[in-house]
Amino acid sequence: MPDQETPEQAEAQWQAGYDRIGKRFGDQAPAQATRPQSHSGLPIKNAYFPQDVPAGPPEAPGAFPYTRGNLAAQYQFMNWANQPVIGYGLPEHTRSRMDLLAEQGMVGYFGSRFYNLVYDLVSHEGLDPDHPAARGRIGQCGMAVYSAQDMATLFDGLDLRKMNVVHITYYQVVAAFAQYIAYAERQGVPPAELSGNTMNWYHQSAYVGMSAFPPEQGLKLAVELISYCTKHMPRWNTTNFFGYGVEEAGGTAVQEIGLMLAFGIELVRACEAAGLAADDVLPRFGFQFAQANDFFEEVCKIRAMRRIWATTMAERFGVTNPRSMHVRIHTHTSGAVLTAQQPMVNLIRTTLHAFGAALAGTQAMEVSAYDEALAIPTEEAATLALRVQQVIQEETNVTAVTDPLAGSYYVEALTDQLATAALALVADIEAQGGYVQAQRSGWIRSVVEDSAERWREQVDSGERKIVGLNCYVAGEEAEPQLFTVDPEVERIAVERIKQLRVSRDAAAFDRAMAALELAAKEFADAAIGQLGQDALILAAIDAARADATTGEIMGVLKHHLGWGAPHES
Amino acid sequence: MAKKIRVLLTKPTQDCHDRGVRYLARKFRDAGFEVVFTNFLLADEVVTTAVQEDVDVIGVSSSSGGHLPVFEDLMAALRAADIDDVLVIGGGVIPPADVRVLTELGVAAVFGPGASAESAVAFVTEHVRERSAL
Repeated sequence: MPDQETPEQAEAQWQAGYDRIGKRFGDQAPAQATRPQSHSGLPIKNAYFPQDVPAGPPEAPGAFPYTRGNLAAQYQFMNWANQPVIGYGLPEHTRSRMDLLAEQGMVGYFGSRFYNLVYDLVSHEGLDPDHPAARGRIGQCGMAVYSAQDMATLFDGLDLRKMNVVHITYYQVVAAFAQYIAYAERQGVPPAELSGNTMNWYHQSAYVGMSAFPPEQGLKLAVELISYCTKHMPRWNTTNFFGYGVEEAGGTAVQEIGLMLAFGIELVRACEAAGLAADDVLPRFGFQFAQANDFFEEVCKIRAMRRIWATTMAERFGVTNPRSMHVRIHTHTSGAVLTAQQPMVNLIRTTLHAFGAALAGTQAMEVSAYDEALAIPTEEAATLALRVQQVIQEETNVTAVTDPLAGSYYVEALTDQLATAALALVADIEAQGGYVQAQRSGWIRSVVEDSAERWREQVDSGERKIVGLNCYVAGEEAEPQLFTVDPEVERIAVERIKQLRVSRDAAAFDRAMAALELAAKEFADAAIGQLGQDALILAAIDAARADATTGEIMGVLKHHLGWGAPHES
Repeated sequence: MAKKIRVLLTKPTQDCHDRGVRYLARKFRDAGFEVVFTNFLLADEVVTTAVQEDVDVIGVSSSSGGHLPVFEDLMAALRAADIDDVLVIGGGVIPPADVRVLTELGVAAVFGPGASAESAVAFVTEHVRERSAL
């Protein structure tokens, strides 16, 4: 046995040995040997020691500030939920994919039916399928659902009380939400008995390039939905924090969590101004994060986010309910890092992403399909993506242990670094007057775009390797079998909406739309402090009861609240 | 001094994926091109902007499907406006079979996922010069 050596001595000895090896390589040493960095650009070390974690390991799982997990148990009693995103073609097409995946073992919590449904591009834009700009986009990247009647086709025969429906919308959330409520009423199910999620994603227009409401109106719309649900829908999760979109737009892990925390502060502040209590709204927030290529940074990002969210919400808003401090996460493995070249290789990437998300302690997951960079996933690709989760859950034994990477010097040090860097970003945004100000000025967009450019330049220069793209490139590749949407979808969707306009009660529709106009006009002029009466949501639900379509409801909102290019709107 | 190459880069507003095309806008500017960037709902808007801005090149990015009608409408609108001296290029998530259709429509090149910005700069430079030499 050598003499008792201090950790500092151990590190010095390691460093000497490392430098001896480095000398042999001289100028030929790869960048990671001499200037190691995380993908976010954080400096890392080539080996870690106890002194890198001066505060020692974090608290137990389930203890504030929840670095190691929201609860004492992770997956021992219940796995994370497999939540593939579903949506294409007509409502009945989406329904058949829902049924297929449910048969294949897609389950939510407590074995419940769980559907993660995405609306199509026409709906996202707040249009109806008979609008001239809809051609080619009906039922693409989502389902062609534009009315309470379309929902009847989609959910036919399912018991709404026994399922959880995630409505993946962009800015048309009010319309889709109102139509779901109206459809449920027709089935005799009151709002209070519905379970599900709305995205409430207005904040994404800071970094996602679609037309949008102006940022101030978006924040008000988010508060309006939260206000209604807080009063009437105790089982409804109101708001999702779209960190994934930051990653997809090219943002770093630091930006992904930092921007979501900055928006969280803004949103809770706005809810309080509208008379809502932080402890009432926060337990109904959820998060969607990407899991991308830098394995450890992506795991630590999640651990860091749990810590800084809990501490920030406790310190700023004085919340006491642990659920107000928890970060409930739906992981979407990164689609942006998948390649069109050698697409089957994407299965390997997504498996690593999903494995990282499992180690980070996610609550639910969607794994991107291997053909994501090419087209809407085929059935085979969608099923394989589900199998990735099932193999990790059933075969690897990682579900037996909570936060299995805790205590690794590297993991703890990197978690600290990510938390510090994200809090610095939040401080920067707060100094600019908050998230909405930093959105309006274009600052958020520009920092994300700078990261995207850095990433691209690293790929183009070969500094960042992507197999099949800038190394190990294959020759001519066979054209893969791609999924296509039946061209009949367009014709039928247009026919249905025209039929709906003719068959609905015109007087009831006119009355409801006139009331919606009035509510939207008043909403547009209202300050956040004047919200809380939920007049706009109630009017939208009335319109949906009268079979108003997505394009009709959104047309009114766009007219009164403003609508235009993001970032400049 | 040669006139600067003027490029309109645009994408359908329904398509949320603007990372690639915004990056390309930066690289085009770095290469000395004058770049106008817009979102559009209808192809007519693209033609109007292209005429107003007197561009040499229209680049349309699409990563969410629906690119075929967009290019059909755009090429028809260009013909209707008697514009035949503008180079039209495409980019984004466009399957190989659709690339062939776009080529037949008169789209000069399609830059898919992983194509380098340099290849787009080189292509535009070469083809705009060829056209102006005619």
